[in-house]
Amino acid sequence: MAHAVEHEYTTTGLNHRKMLMWVFLGSDCLFFGALIATYMVYRGQSLVGPYPIDIINVPVTTISTFVLLMSSFAMVQALAATNADNKRGIVSWLLATAFLGAIFIGFQIVEFNTFKNEGLTLGGNLFGASFFTLTGFHGAHVTLGIIWLLAMAILAAKGRVGSKTALDVELLGLYWHFVDIVWIVIFTLLYLIGGFDVGPVALPGG
Amino acid sequence: MAHETEQDTHHPSFKQYVLIAIILFAITIVEFLLIWDRVGIVDYLGASKIPLLVGLSVVKFYIVIMFYMHLQFDDKLFTRIFIAGLALAFMVGLALLGLFTAMNGDQRYYALDRAVPYEEHEAAHETTTPGTGGTTGSETAPVAAGPIKVGAKGNELAFDTTSLTASSGSEVTITFTNSSTVNTHNLVIVEDGTKDAVSTDGTVAGPDNNWVKPGDSRVIANTILAGPGETQDVSFTAPAPGTYQFVCTFPGHNFTMFGDFVVN
Repeated sequence: MAHAVEHEYTTTGLNHRKMLMWVFLGSDCLFFGALIATYMVYRGQSLVGPYPIDIINVPVTTISTFVLLMSSFAMVQALAATNADNKRGIVSWLLATAFLGAIFIGFQIVEFNTFKNEGLTLGGNLFGASFFTLTGFHGAHVTLGIIWLLAMAILAAKGRVGSKTALDVELLGLYWHFVDIVWIVIFTLLYLIGGFDVGPVALPGG
Repeated sequence: MAHETEQDTHHPSFKQYVLIAIILFAITIVEFLLIWDRVGIVDYLGASKIPLLVGLSVVKFYIVIMFYMHLQFDDKLFTRIFIAGLALAFMVGLALLGLFTAMNGDQRYYALDRAVPYEEHEAAHETTTPGTGGTTGSETAPVAAGPIKVGAKGNELAFDTTSLTASSGSEVTITFTNSSTVNTHNLVIVEDGTKDAVSTDGTVAGPDNNWVKPGDSRVIANTILAGPGETQDVSFTAPAPGTYQFVCTFPGHNFTMFGDFVVN
């Protein structure tokens, strides 16, 4: 019953809204691709601190990464519950996804505050500028997703979400998972690989 | 309805979704253990951690888009659209990186450093090319009395002399012997008063450039890096009369390891 929406005639035989979502996600790849590339270009170019090694906390961010990954699991369960017309399941899993996303944002707020207190600002050095722009825009995507999830949960609680409107939940899921995979890339490049970068004046052997 | 039911059966079951979540979780843990210094694996990995981490995140990325986002079970057109965006993003990234790392990452000064005043154009091909290491210079210049010998002062961060002299326009060869048993050094002739600025830029340029910024207009000449016990030569045409400096631009050494290079 997954795709039991009214069949519409399209030249590709595929649903227009779903197509639109994938086109949007493809274009959002470019958006994040540009920001990630900018970060990589400016990597190690900051002339003043703080440098990544001074402030990046990999263990803490590993936890928030895990939380975001688990929210994707909750999201697929919400879609499964939608297909099964399990109203209670839909509401709970949507709220669980939103809750896990909110925890992730909470981690990010704490992180940003800590970084700010340690001297990293948007205008302070290239690391701060490229870091906050990239992770900030990702955080904005997550926040938007949380709002969407909560709105969907309210609709579900009113009994207006079910197998007949499963596409609505599926599109939300696609967006949410996309935000998750963007974080997979950011986490690897900015934290696991770039989190130990030192400044240019303190290269090894100096 | 048969069509929809058929699609449904292709979706992973609850158990499979749990399994996928566990795999994603496990990969994240492995990534973390790889780089956490308290575990110590990172010390053995060195630079090879980067392809390893990139590979692991590609696996995570693939699992999420194929299963959580159902690309595995959906029409291939969706995959193509998404991959097209992803590929474009990748190429934009490569283009940006290429743009900013071309000319040794120094595009802003590249032309400036190489600009030659019009009246000097004629003689331009006879001048030395600074910063590229090794021996340079013209073979027609007057020959000096022989190579100037300089050494490192044992294991101290200092040269064994604080002053060198040469005649303007003569072909100078400096033989630098690194007598240290632990440190790597170089010898760079620079404009007076620029030793620290040149060293700072050299630190950014890195060891592959012998700790000298390629094309640095303040550099008259430089040896390549001399490891402990090694000797390196540099030949160049002594510049206009005046005082210059010689310095080791290995990060941190410039504060104590320098001297005056006087051209008569």
